[in-house]
Amino acid sequence: MTQGTIVAERLMYSYGNLIAVDGISFNVAEGEILGFLGPNGAGKTTTVKMLTGQLKPKGGKATLLGMDVAKNVDKVQGDIGVCFEVTNLYEQMSAVENLRFFARLFGVHSLDAEALLVRVDLAGRGKDRVATYSKGMKQRLMVARSLVNRPRVIFLDEPTAGLDPTSSESIRNIILEERERGATVFLTTHDMLEADKLSDRVAFMNQGKIVALDTPHNLKQQYGKRALKAKVSTESGKLEDREVILDTPETPEAIHELFAQEKVVTIHSEEATLEDIFISITGRGLQE
Amino acid sequence: MNWRIIRALVAKDLSLFFKNRFFAIVTVIGLIFYIVIYFVMPKSVNENLEIGLYAPVMLPALEQMQGEGLEIERVESEDMLKEGVIEGHYVAGIALPADIMEGFVSAQKPVISVYFASDVPEETKDAVEVMIRELAYQQVGQALAIEVSEEIIGPDLAGMQIPPRDRMRPLLAIMLIMVETLGLANLISEEIERRTINALLVTPVSVKELFFAKGITGVSLAFIQSALFMAIVGGINHEPLIILVTLLLGAILVTGVGFIIASLGRGFMSVLIWGMPILIILFIPAFGVMVPGAATGWVKAIPSYYLVDTVHRVANFGAGWGNIWLNLVVLVGFDLALAWIGIMALRRRTL
Repeated sequence: MTQGTIVAERLMYSYGNLIAVDGISFNVAEGEILGFLGPNGAGKTTTVKMLTGQLKPKGGKATLLGMDVAKNVDKVQGDIGVCFEVTNLYEQMSAVENLRFFARLFGVHSLDAEALLVRVDLAGRGKDRVATYSKGMKQRLMVARSLVNRPRVIFLDEPTAGLDPTSSESIRNIILEERERGATVFLTTHDMLEADKLSDRVAFMNQGKIVALDTPHNLKQQYGKRALKAKVSTESGKLEDREVILDTPETPEAIHELFAQEKVVTIHSEEATLEDIFISITGRGLQE
Repeated sequence: MNWRIIRALVAKDLSLFFKNRFFAIVTVIGLIFYIVIYFVMPKSVNENLEIGLYAPVMLPALEQMQGEGLEIERVESEDMLKEGVIEGHYVAGIALPADIMEGFVSAQKPVISVYFASDVPEETKDAVEVMIRELAYQQVGQALAIEVSEEIIGPDLAGMQIPPRDRMRPLLAIMLIMVETLGLANLISEEIERRTINALLVTPVSVKELFFAKGITGVSLAFIQSALFMAIVGGINHEPLIILVTLLLGAILVTGVGFIIASLGRGFMSVLIWGMPILIILFIPAFGVMVPGAATGWVKAIPSYYLVDTVHRVANFGAGWGNIWLNLVVLVGFDLALAWIGIMALRRRTL
């Protein structure tokens, strides 16, 4: 397997008889954003726990930055940043206190907490207790916390779940900035639109296995169908939907017939979403 | 072990501890409150039995007994005697009949009335009754047919009984230590419940460093408070090193207990619910010191017994290393056992 920043080789973990992660292999290159998609219980969190040294694999090997995670937990954890889905900040402390405390754990003495707070749109709120923050503010602070050590690898678990569009956009921008800096981002999400927008590649995980791993474009090419969606007006004045599948030998004639025989009100092209592709591969949705 | 990480964790824990108003107030007010309690308690013990006496005719034998642990005060009437007993001036009131001497001479049995307040202990009643019988024997010239030989084994503490406030010292010190158990347990429990522990365990913090830092926080809070208290109330004037070592071992003991409570608790109320019964059990040996004879042999099965007993014997009876070394060995054993159980229980819950 090609050496990457994150390398999983036949990684396996089970809880009793239940196999959570079933011998998965993949790698993520430096500066790449990998979207890790899958429904609840697919094994995403267990995989992240093994990659971040929280769980020892029961089979296979995880390598980060060239180090075996299980054998070099402390070193690996010094170079990663993790943002959890569930808020886990010290709420009785201020944002600045939270950031400085975590910076001390990483041995970072020159943290510019205020600058970091500006990046996550929390300027001026740094001295307030975190308990007084909204969900979106807490989530942005969690992202800021994951960056205190300028990590080379960032694990983000549902970083925009339940956030308003402004907060989500702010977090997406930070993810892209970090990629620009050269950091590798492992993005776990249910949100296929977000994964599509941000990820260089996406991995679909289902029942402990990776069932597809490629760029969003290639996956759409391989598994999706492109179509023209039209709204036509019938004789009775009602609006009805029409669909013309693209990329088939019959497509040109079908488009011609649509315009010749129907009164087309609106028309637009439509690509398959990652969710459509996930469903077509696994037979189940991402939100299950 | 990375000391930079441990220092950061301890500083954070202490900061969070004092940001919790409940534990901050309990810690500061508690320390002041216990010191005030100590100083308002009597600093000496009245060893005399104060007895009221109504005696139209004074018995010579009774006059001889005055001063032998008895403070006999004569009153003018039987009504005044009863009033004195009710108001608590005397533990007992003795009323002699006016014809008592004639009764002795004619070999009749004069009736002597003895009045007690309702809360006088049974043993005091027995002592007064025995005293009156002896008095009667002496008065009629029939000395007891035995000689009693008294010998005190060990130091004779007559006249140097331990004042109630000094007897309370171990109880107050252990109360201070124990309250910190709840604070520590709450701190750890919240770390788990709020999942901040997960955030710590993906940084260079190891599980070993995390538990070690929690241990230092718990031991520091408990030890500093109890040592400060003992220093202020004069509890470390004699053998300060033994007292400090004992308090340190006590602080380690309650830190282990704190770990166990934290592994059971799910938030503040849950910590209180699990913690209070455990603390009450740990208080029992201290109550045993307060009320001698109240606790029997089983109390030695409670780990805090060895803490309380050592502090009590060293601070109140001047015991030295030679007298209490076994207590300290047992205490170290309990420390190790409880710390191990606590850490295992926490590991099971967190990892």
